[in-house]
Amino acid sequence: MIFSHFTALVVFALIVSTVFALITKNEPREQFRYGVFVFLSFLAVAFAVGWIMYPLPL
Amino acid sequence: MDQLNEQVGPAPGSTVVEARPMNMAATLAICSGGWLVPGLAHVLIGRWIRGIIFAACVLLMFGLGLAMHGKLYDLEFDQPLHLFAFIANVGAGVPYWIAARLGWGIGTMTWPSYDYGTTYLWVCGLLNYLIVLDAFDIAQGRKP
Repeated sequence: MIFSHFTALVVFALIVSTVFALITKNEPREQFRYGVFVFLSFLAVAFAVGWIMYPLPL
Repeated sequence: MDQLNEQVGPAPGSTVVEARPMNMAATLAICSGGWLVPGLAHVLIGRWIRGIIFAACVLLMFGLGLAMHGKLYDLEFDQPLHLFAFIANVGAGVPYWIAARLGWGIGTMTWPSYDYGTTYLWVCGLLNYLIVLDAFDIAQGRKP
């Protein structure tokens, strides 16, 4: 199976944010909000780091 | 102060659910089960939905890691840094031993998603450790 980088990142963020939300919060509403926050944070940080690394000759 | 405590106490007629901690032996047995079979600890303490979701997350991540040709690390003393990778991998419990037994998780370094697969396999084991610790806290009454 070959995922694109972005798909692998999204699936990873989805699974990890689900587990984090269920472990950290107790109320379903809080869990949902925290899970969405963690998921979006993963994506935002990945985009930010990607752009920061863009000019580097790697 | 006593008056204040009375004011903020439970409302009349409300039911207060006190979390009673299990004994340590039962807690450790449950946590061991949760380590071997992801999600089992939560199922055993009555958190069915959480347990099923945790099991799905860990097993899905483990399966995807193998499908992406990730590497499962074995205990190798000549490569000391591989010990950390082994500890992360073995967190997945029985699925790790089954996959190792079947010869899966050899890891194809030339495969495009090899790095992602290896990371998936590490992280699913580490997540299972967190899940077991969560079950420990619930069983000990530290968490609702």
